[in-house]
Amino acid sequence: MELSLNYLYSITFYIPECIAVLVMAGILFLEIAYKKHDSKRILLKVFTIVGLIVTFGALVFNLDLPSKNIFYDAIVIDRFSVLVKIIAVIAALISYWYGLSSRDIYDSLKSEFGILIVGGLIGTMLLASANNMLTLYLGIEMLSILSYPLAAMKRLDEKSVEAGLKYALYGGLSAGIMLFGMSLIFGILGTIQFGEIAGRITTLDVTQKAILVPAFLFFFVGLGYKISCVPFHMWTPDVYEGSPIPVTAFFSVVPKIGGIAALVRVTSAFFVNENLIQYSWVAVLTLVAALTMTVGNVSALGQRSVKRMLAYSSIAQIGNILLGVLVLDSIGQQAIIFYFFGYMIMTLLAFGITAVLSDQYGNDYFDRFNGLIYRNPFMAICLIIAMLSLAGMPPLIGFVAKFNIIAAIVKKGLFGLAIIAVLNSVISLYYYMRLARLVVFKMPDSTEKLFRLSIGRQALFVSMALFILIVGIFWEDLYKFSDVTNQIKLAH
Amino acid sequence: MQHLLNWILWTPALGIIGTLLIPGKAHNTIRIWSLLVTAITFAMTILLYCQFDQAAPGMQEYFNIKFPWIEQFHIYYSLGVDGISLPMVLLTGLLFFLCILSSWTIEKSVKSYFALFLMLEASVFGVFLALDFFLFYVFWEVMLIPMFFLIGIWGGENREYAAVKFFLYTFAGSVLMLVGLIALYFQSGANSESFNILALQGGKFGDEVVTLFGTDWNFGILVFIGMFIAFAIKVPIFPFHTWLPHAHVQAPTAVSVILAGVLLKMGTYGFLRIAFPILPEAAVYFRDWIAWLGLINVIYGALCAMAQSDMKKLIAYSSVSHMGFVMLGLAAMTTQGTNGAVLQMFNHGTSTSMMFLMVGVLYERSHHRWIVRPDGTKGFGGLYTKLPIYSIVFIISMFASMGLPGLSGFISEALIFLGIYKEFTTITVLALIGLLVGAAYLLWMFKRMFFGEVIPSVAGYHDMNAREILYMAPLCITVILLGVYPAPILNIMKESVGSLVQLLAKFQ
Repeated sequence: MELSLNYLYSITFYIPECIAVLVMAGILFLEIAYKKHDSKRILLKVFTIVGLIVTFGALVFNLDLPSKNIFYDAIVIDRFSVLVKIIAVIAALISYWYGLSSRDIYDSLKSEFGILIVGGLIGTMLLASANNMLTLYLGIEMLSILSYPLAAMKRLDEKSVEAGLKYALYGGLSAGIMLFGMSLIFGILGTIQFGEIAGRITTLDVTQKAILVPAFLFFFVGLGYKISCVPFHMWTPDVYEGSPIPVTAFFSVVPKIGGIAALVRVTSAFFVNENLIQYSWVAVLTLVAALTMTVGNVSALGQRSVKRMLAYSSIAQIGNILLGVLVLDSIGQQAIIFYFFGYMIMTLLAFGITAVLSDQYGNDYFDRFNGLIYRNPFMAICLIIAMLSLAGMPPLIGFVAKFNIIAAIVKKGLFGLAIIAVLNSVISLYYYMRLARLVVFKMPDSTEKLFRLSIGRQALFVSMALFILIVGIFWEDLYKFSDVTNQIKLAH
Repeated sequence: MQHLLNWILWTPALGIIGTLLIPGKAHNTIRIWSLLVTAITFAMTILLYCQFDQAAPGMQEYFNIKFPWIEQFHIYYSLGVDGISLPMVLLTGLLFFLCILSSWTIEKSVKSYFALFLMLEASVFGVFLALDFFLFYVFWEVMLIPMFFLIGIWGGENREYAAVKFFLYTFAGSVLMLVGLIALYFQSGANSESFNILALQGGKFGDEVVTLFGTDWNFGILVFIGMFIAFAIKVPIFPFHTWLPHAHVQAPTAVSVILAGVLLKMGTYGFLRIAFPILPEAAVYFRDWIAWLGLINVIYGALCAMAQSDMKKLIAYSSVSHMGFVMLGLAAMTTQGTNGAVLQMFNHGTSTSMMFLMVGVLYERSHHRWIVRPDGTKGFGGLYTKLPIYSIVFIISMFASMGLPGLSGFISEALIFLGIYKEFTTITVLALIGLLVGAAYLLWMFKRMFFGEVIPSVAGYHDMNAREILYMAPLCITVILLGVYPAPILNIMKESVGSLVQLLAKFQ
């Protein structure tokens, strides 16, 4: 058992989070100090962006530290959690950038948008390194409560307000169920520390185990809601559709990878021994993963709004990632981290381009994409690359990500699941290609060429597309970077 | 010279960059540049042919290229050539060169067209040269992307549907291959040889058992089924052929030529290179099935072709029929049969390309392809008196496709029948009926289009121009030459086919 470190010493491992908190507070102060001055916009933007970049730098610095449990085992800092946080910071940064130029985020709310994004990021960071149930719950709530106003950010639009309310109702319900599950687990096992749970499970008799299974299921409801897997996915399309696009981009990456990270940690900490409980947990995950992929993909087929289509597609992608969770080994975790990288870039690229079109037309129906290639070839090609990659076509990063996940489950001998997964990517190819088809094969409705696109954002899109392509071919380094072998730290 | 394979593979890819640098308005520059790139590539394939050691079985060490790509997964960038892939490489080089010539009349988005065309060429070479299973898969899939856009942008009226159907169908097959190749990787120990196509060969997976959906299965058979579906969709074998008529009919001429001439061969090449040598027990186990499916292809394809009134659709179904012969030759698992199959792959590549190119030539004049229009009137009539050169070239391509003695198709079909007769006598006899129907639909089409009254719309057509003669001539010469003297192709494949047949014979 590792020595618990005192608070002061713990803080030294917690610098990235501290920076993020300071950034959040700093925006608040700047907002007050510079009220009614135009210049504050620039300063605030610069401050937020620099703050996020500094957080990113601090995280990269943390990457090489040995694994540590800090704050009396409440928080764990290991390579897995730091990698997840790095991905979350990049995603937050890019969605913040989208938000700055989006018409969906009102000019008067840009600073609040920054606060909420950074706050959500902090929640995800907490979630990624949670090492007991309370920290986990704290992370989930931090993330959720800040997400509700984010969804309702476009407050003059009914849909957005509806999205916020829906999100809040679902979130409150699932958090309650999760808390109930946690209290049952605590009642039976007498601990909230993740590291002690596996050991105590072995000492239970059959009746206690029988109660523990539903307790874990209740616990899973909360996480399942955060990662929006079937059957807890109902809120996703509506919330995604209603929210402003930069917020949707944020929702589709940051909370989800936080939730998956918590799920991975819970799974690898609770279910180390082969017994009935591990078996049923894996069975539940298998069922949920297969359903999530299939329901997500099939529902995406008939959508009219691109945002909604992307919402369903992200549900399906989460199903793929769940496959990496249920193999319960470090190869699966490595595949998950790699998938996160790919998923983040692909999804953000798709949302970014959708945001541009939606700003121009006021909605994001499929026919808005007609003949995009004749109007802005660079953006069209970036979009096609994103779509092909999401569908899993080589030589793009989406293919490699799927390849790694499928390799992880085939290694375990789960051929049936592998076949379901690959057939699902065929279904997904249809709707991704539906968009690519409109972009290339249809003629534009009007000849107007303008897209209010700054050089900066064009460069961002092109570099994301290049990342998808180049890492899709030379993925060795990123794959090595995603390695978390022996790093998932159990607090014994 | 040792890097010849690299050059063959990457010259078209480098050509894409060149195309992109040329301004989009300079149509002729783009065309000439693409022609130059494909001509150089074709010249290099000829050079490869000259350097090839005909007496050596297996991969030619001299040309092998191998270096690590992804080390954790033991994935190598490894290329090689043997007697089975060389005819395909030659065919690819030749057909792409000629197709650029035949695409001269494309006026819509010229730049993207030729860039995609070169991308297609590079990926097809990649499939035929790859010796690493992962690399093979990557090229196999990449090939779909240019194909999708080529059909979807430059195709006929119903092009979108055809493009999507082609894309989804082929993708559905190949993802099953993906599971198969990952399964093979782990089953063979996940070591440095596990993605190496050559090292996997030799029947190492005959006795392994795996569990799928709660029941025990023979590992080899399971993986073979996955790969069979992937390759069968590409060939295409009945009942996976339904994408083919759409894709062929909607695609622009040059793309139809590549589709029929080269891409279909990738399916049968997959059997020869991957499915049969890696899983010989399963191949022998499914041999009867493959033979019967091949027979269905032969007869069903021919009968469907007979019922068509659209020339392109007719030729598309004739491809189904002719690829059935290849499957019969493969199912024979004898020396003559397999030699015949590989030769038929090459010969069908040339003869069907001629047919499609001839349809394209006519289409540029008439803008329709009806033999008989839907309202019952004739689409063409008396072409023979109006277009003498065209008619002669058409006759050569038609007879080559029919398998008339003296032309290339005869030799390969004869070899296939020789090979299969002792193994599956009933099937041989039934397949001969397919041959007969094959002659019938082609001759009937010829009669309806070329003889009879000259219908008014035909009167204004001009005969083939120099460019069209230029791209038909090499194919005519090849077809006649190989019909009289097939040794140039048979000799290079002899040893490689021999070792494959020996391997399969061990498991019969």
